[in-house]
Amino acid sequence: MNHNEYKEIIPFYLYEELDFEKQKVFEDHIRSCKDCANELESFKKLFADVSEESKSPVDPKLLLEARLELRGVLRAHQNKIHSSNNIKDYIFSLFYKPLGLAVSGFSLILIGLFIGYLVFNSPVIEKLESDSTKAERLRIQNINFIDPDPSDGEVEFTFEAITPGRIKGNINDSELQKILTYAVLNEQNPGTRLNSINVINANQTQKPDDEIKSTLITVTKYDNNPGVRREALKSLNELPADEEIKNALIYVLLNDTSAGIRIEAINGLADVSKQGINLNQKDLISLRDKIQTDENNYIRFQAKNIIKEY
Amino acid sequence: MPLSDNELIINANKGDVLALEELIYRYDKKVLRLAIKFTGDSDDAKDIYQEVFIRVYKSLGNFQFKSEFSTWLFRITSNVCITFKRKYSKHNHFSLNDEENSAYVSTIPDDSELSPENLVVNSEYGSKINEALNTLSPNQKLSFLLKHLEGYKIREIAEMMNCKEGTIKKYLFDAVRRLKIQLEKSH
Repeated sequence: MNHNEYKEIIPFYLYEELDFEKQKVFEDHIRSCKDCANELESFKKLFADVSEESKSPVDPKLLLEARLELRGVLRAHQNKIHSSNNIKDYIFSLFYKPLGLAVSGFSLILIGLFIGYLVFNSPVIEKLESDSTKAERLRIQNINFIDPDPSDGEVEFTFEAITPGRIKGNINDSELQKILTYAVLNEQNPGTRLNSINVINANQTQKPDDEIKSTLITVTKYDNNPGVRREALKSLNELPADEEIKNALIYVLLNDTSAGIRIEAINGLADVSKQGINLNQKDLISLRDKIQTDENNYIRFQAKNIIKEY
Repeated sequence: MPLSDNELIINANKGDVLALEELIYRYDKKVLRLAIKFTGDSDDAKDIYQEVFIRVYKSLGNFQFKSEFSTWLFRITSNVCITFKRKYSKHNHFSLNDEENSAYVSTIPDDSELSPENLVVNSEYGSKINEALNTLSPNQKLSFLLKHLEGYKIREIAEMMNCKEGTIKKYLFDAVRRLKIQLEKSH
């Protein structure tokens, strides 16, 4: 190996990616070559600096936002699959009604038997029975069969055991707000999601925390129900403007299929801009694109007005 | 005792949402951190994060248990990162074959990329490292980050990036050289 070849393997020596023989030869070389020894030291320093810098933790707020948005997207995706399965099931039932009836009847008997078994024999329920109030209120739902074949004497399924709760309290109560925030993201019923947003929005006395803001942003961007998206967007427009809200408005403006919601977004964007949150080059490009492409006159007009300010 | 990755995958594939969530939360910080370093922008990083885990969710049923889940996950992350750069390369100074033509091409991040809230920077030197990272081509940067952030072996990085080990060595060699020159200049 010549001097330059030795220099080229320095990073790989530090990565411990050289075979034993090459490593040994290299170590012998640096004992006699000052240039390579210096180079080795400078690479060591570089790697140490990079390693130190890369230890910087991820901003927990950013991680929370990313998780909430992902959860919203996955939920929307699951709903889509659920709806398409319902249609498939309906078509299947048209063609195989007698067979379908037999299967459904059998499944119901099986579910009944197992709920009975769970209520009277299951160790899980026994534990809960120590708290009799809880056991009485336990609701079993979403039973999904993994192994529905009873021929070997065993079946397997998953289920959700839910204890209903009730809460009455001030709309500013943080626990209450947390439950509603969860409902906005996870509740299947769009009416409930809508109501939850309205209650969160009614809490005007204190500044909403970041989790609520992130939830509203996620719902505004990804909820599959336009009514819920619109309500979340309205609530978002009530909050003090910041960079994240501006980005969410731009996203809605570019991606939402409902012209009404896009109008709400561009109005919000005009307000955000007035509140001193500046649009960057990327935002302005998006707005220029809207002027060319949006089918709605008002949106094109408003986009022009906003751009005029820059 | 916590369940292994493979056990969580089996449960997630049976419809256990909590298992899927636990699996994601086991690795999502690493994916987000890599995405932040790769893009230099928190919004872009969130887009990459989301795309990665949507792909994981959609294809978890096809996971063959032939490799570690983390290797599979970072293979997806690598694909998403490179595709992301290709998609947005019209605003970028790199051509897709930048690694092959070794001429130095500088990328000057715009103001928003350099704003403090968009970068995970602990120090002035940290920001210099980030600026220097932005001068690397996407493949060089990704190889470098997988090595220095995650500590993967060259063989594993090659598997993740679907390249030969020799190609990864070249990316890494060029990356560290360029970083060294950039950081020496800024001293």
